[in-house]
Amino acid sequence: MTEKRITIRATRFDPEKDRSPRLQSYDIPFSDESMVVLDALNHIKAHVDGSLSYRWSCRMGICGSCGMMVNGTPKLTCNAFLRDYWPRSITVEPLTNFPIVRDLVIDMESFMHKLKSIKPWIIRKQDYPLGAGEHRQTMEQIDEFRQFSECINCMLCYAACPVYGLNNEFLGPAAIALARRYNLDSRDQGIKERLPVIADSEGIWECSFVGECSVVCPKGVDPAKAIQQTKLDTTMRFVLPYGNRDE
Amino acid sequence: MKAPPASADAPTSAAPRVYKPEMGRGWWLGKRHYFLYIVREFTALPLALWLLWFLVEIQRASNGPKGYYPHSSIGFVVFSVIVLGFALYHTYTFLSLAGVIIHIKGVPARLIVLSQFALWLVASVVIAAVLIGFAR
Repeated sequence: MTEKRITIRATRFDPEKDRSPRLQSYDIPFSDESMVVLDALNHIKAHVDGSLSYRWSCRMGICGSCGMMVNGTPKLTCNAFLRDYWPRSITVEPLTNFPIVRDLVIDMESFMHKLKSIKPWIIRKQDYPLGAGEHRQTMEQIDEFRQFSECINCMLCYAACPVYGLNNEFLGPAAIALARRYNLDSRDQGIKERLPVIADSEGIWECSFVGECSVVCPKGVDPAKAIQQTKLDTTMRFVLPYGNRDE
Repeated sequence: MKAPPASADAPTSAAPRVYKPEMGRGWWLGKRHYFLYIVREFTALPLALWLLWFLVEIQRASNGPKGYYPHSSIGFVVFSVIVLGFALYHTYTFLSLAGVIIHIKGVPARLIVLSQFALWLVASVVIAAVLIGFAR
């Protein structure tokens, strides 16, 4: 019986030698139905070409490191099964809309800066001393923001967003979803510190609701929803009497 | 949003050369979702043109019904029918997204969408009744 095989075409780019990225084909054994694209890349690196560079860590859809374009769609490669593509070949490329550092590795610097700018932590006007006890929340209060707290910062939503592709200054889906997560948190009092960033022209108002960010999210977060609801909330704060009151 | 100015904490070594890909002009043709998004956005343009025409017609009718003859060339009728299709598509996509945008505690998104379509229907019937009433 002949061994089942699959062709992986991976982007190669050496900043010291190449002017632009190119695709290189690898024919590898498809020995196990549970194999994912990340397994295929690991096989190539271990047995075929050790110079192939890519990011990965947990292999279980938690760390958000292994996001790449799989046949043109942003996916976590640890969650993209070869059986869903075989016998066709699979093209693996770095996430679009980001500068490529090497092979399948992108430059995340801009994203990390955006993430930090929305202050993704609980902000209190006055911190309680530790001895005063915890900030209690009801299940209803947690349900308000739970969905948006599932984000693993994998950046698939940025790769799917043509608005970000056309304007890299756009704050982007994940950062805005995370800002909403904290703004909806009953323990948080930092909305006024985040508003100048999220309500900026490069923030929520840059989004024209393509919606693809929510389609590709591997954790079921709905960043498009977060952005549109933030638009509505921000407008209400501006329009309604006392809408911009101190909270 | 702009990147912060370099600080003392920033690495001093030269950044490695990176390849910056650019989006091609045909990016919206690559995926059905992108294509439908562009169609949705584009529908606003013929709608705006038709409304401009409508303003001209209102101006023409400003002297009363006696001297007014509505523009009824085949070309205008065809254009109006096409624009009607665009308007219906734009309205459908806009109202379908209402459940995502409007967030009311305890009210399911589906109900919000249905209420928007119901309001649209009521508004259309009222406007049609007024126009038909005036025409008689």
